[in-house]
Amino acid sequence: MNAHRYILVIAGAVATSLISFASIVAHGPAFIAQVEAKAGKARDAAGGKDITLRFTTSQGWLTRHPELDGGADTPRDIRQRTASAIFVSPGVGGVHWNPDPTRMADTKGGPPRTPTLHCQDRVEGILRVRSIRFSEASAAIDPASGALLDEVAAALRPCVGSIIAITGHTDAMGSESANIRLSRDRAESIRKALIRRGIPAAGLRARGEGSGQPLEGLDPSDPANRRIEFSVISIRPLDPTPVDTPSAG
Amino acid sequence: MPLWLEMLILMLLTYASGLGIGWFYWNRGGRRR
Repeated sequence: MNAHRYILVIAGAVATSLISFASIVAHGPAFIAQVEAKAGKARDAAGGKDITLRFTTSQGWLTRHPELDGGADTPRDIRQRTASAIFVSPGVGGVHWNPDPTRMADTKGGPPRTPTLHCQDRVEGILRVRSIRFSEASAAIDPASGALLDEVAAALRPCVGSIIAITGHTDAMGSESANIRLSRDRAESIRKALIRRGIPAAGLRARGEGSGQPLEGLDPSDPANRRIEFSVISIRPLDPTPVDTPSAG
Repeated sequence: MPLWLEMLILMLLTYASGLGIGWFYWNRGGRRR
């Protein structure tokens, strides 16, 4: 192919780009207004009247992928149904919630709550009555704790996308450096066990505190201080809404 | 994704596939000189 043909192909691409941009300038606002009207009707029919739809990107461009906002007092199932109804509304490419976690205040006047913290509560609930056992002075998880780890992994699954810290603690018996190493190795074993159970490695952090943080009201040398704690650091609350999937139309 | 970007991608893909089809038939012997 000679240079002349290359120039012709590039000129064609430029002309195509200009045509597409001009057509969006001419017809985009009317098209989006139409999509917005239908999505608004779908939202009202689903019962999420106080949820607002924004058909512009953060840079101010028109988009078929609306951002949903508000509706903090709307029950979760209505929010979910509204998002699904908007998602299937003609012309809508996908929906996503405004990623501001304060919107999740689910009780009037109550403290804001994010869904990720719910799964921390669930894990704590599981571990309150049973604990993950290790072999004596070793980081090897007792095989009998396998089922418990399955439950922990299932409880953590809704938190995927957030950072989950796994912290190992020991009692004050033995040297502190050995305790820190052991607690870190045990936290690391739990981390690996959770990865094997399908929790993404990228979101899991393991650390060992040794005997430095005994349980409140307990003597530091009490064996009950040997434990694994999970804390969910809420960085990206997940909403059970359809994913933002671009589609033609 | 902004609407203009969706349109641009769609149009350029259409343009590129048109070029591809044209190139294929041109080299298949459709060319007569």
